[in-house]
Amino acid sequence: MSKPVLSGRLQRLGAAAVSGLTLFASTAALALPMASEGSFMAMVDLHSAGERDAAVNYAVTGRDALGVMATRWHEPVLHAGVHARKHERESVGLTYTRLVHRWNLPHAQANLWFVGVVGQARGHGWAGSRGFWSPAVMADYETTRLYAGAGVEPKRGSGLRHDITWVRAGFSFYEVDYEQVQPWFIVESRRTRITSGSRDEVTPMLRLIHRGLFVELGRNREGTQFNLMWAY
Amino acid sequence: MQALSRPSNPARLGALAALAVALWLPAGAALAQAAQSLKLQVNGMVCSFCAQGIEKRLKAMPETGPVFIDLRNKVVAVEPRPGQTLNAERVAGEVREAGYEVVATETVAQTVAQIRAGTRATRQER
Repeated sequence: MSKPVLSGRLQRLGAAAVSGLTLFASTAALALPMASEGSFMAMVDLHSAGERDAAVNYAVTGRDALGVMATRWHEPVLHAGVHARKHERESVGLTYTRLVHRWNLPHAQANLWFVGVVGQARGHGWAGSRGFWSPAVMADYETTRLYAGAGVEPKRGSGLRHDITWVRAGFSFYEVDYEQVQPWFIVESRRTRITSGSRDEVTPMLRLIHRGLFVELGRNREGTQFNLMWAY
Repeated sequence: MQALSRPSNPARLGALAALAVALWLPAGAALAQAAQSLKLQVNGMVCSFCAQGIEKRLKAMPETGPVFIDLRNKVVAVEPRPGQTLNAERVAGEVREAGYEVVATETVAQTVAQIRAGTRATRQER
C-alpha cells in the first residue's frame, strides 16, 4: 500500500486527474455521465465513511467521451466470521462513456449509457497492483419534475470484486427557468458487493442544479454523502 | 427654429407629421426586420444540462445573437446578430446534433428579449 505500484502513462494520467480535482469521486451516483460535444465533465463523490471517487471526461462527440477516474474504497475483512477490520483499496482507470440511445419525448428524456473502465488497482493485502475492468450500464428517465435512474457497475480483476448496483428516484419541488437554481429531493438505494460480502445503503439527498453545476448532499446510517458534477 | 418648435397652424402640423413618418418608416422597417427571431419546439430538453449543451452549440454559430431557453415549454428562441439572418434548418440541425429532437420551427417578429418577457408575463398571469 505504501509503495507506489502504478507505473508509466497510467500513473501520470491518474495523477493529472487527481491533482486537477484534488478529491476522489464516483459516477455511480450521478445523473448524466458526460457533457455535450466539446465539453468537459468533472465529477466528485465523497462519503464521510471513507469512499471517494473522482472522474473527468471530455466529450469527443455528442455520444462518446474519454476520460480518467480514480476511486478509493474500504473492504471489510472477514475474520472468524465477522468483519473485524477494513482493507483500503485504490484504483485509477481510463474511461470510455457511450450514450447508447436517447429517447426524446415531448415532456421527458430517457437515456441508456455504457461506461467502460480499465485500469490498475492496489490495496492492503495485495502484492503490487493488479488490472481491473468495469463494464457499467446505466439508464435514466427525467422530466422537469421527476427523475428515475438505475445502474449496474461491476468492477472485476484478479482477486477483486467490487460491484455496485443502484436505483434512484426523486422529484423537484417546482419548475424553474434555465437561469435559476432547481432543488430536487432524491432517494438512492445502493448495494455494494465485494469479495467478502455485501452492503446496502439508502440515502435521501437534496440535489441542486444550476446550469452546468450539480450538487448533492445526503446522509445515511454510515455518514454524509456529497456529490458534485460540473460540465464546462 | 421658432416655427419648427412651435407650429402655429394645422397645415404646419400636418407637414411635420408627414416628415416624421417619412423619416421613421425606413428605420421602423429595419427594426422590424432585425426583430425576426426563430423559435424551436424541442423534445427531450428537460434539464439545465440539456439546455447548456444546446446553448453552447447555438452561440458558437457566427450568425447567432441572443438565445433564450424556456425549459418549461421546451422552446429555444434564437435571434440573429445585427445584419445577419438565421437559416432555420441550420439552427435546427445544431439542436439535433446536440442530441435533441426539433419538432417545429417558427419565425416570429420579436426579439429574444421580447419573447423572454412575454414568457415570464404569461407565467405570472397563471
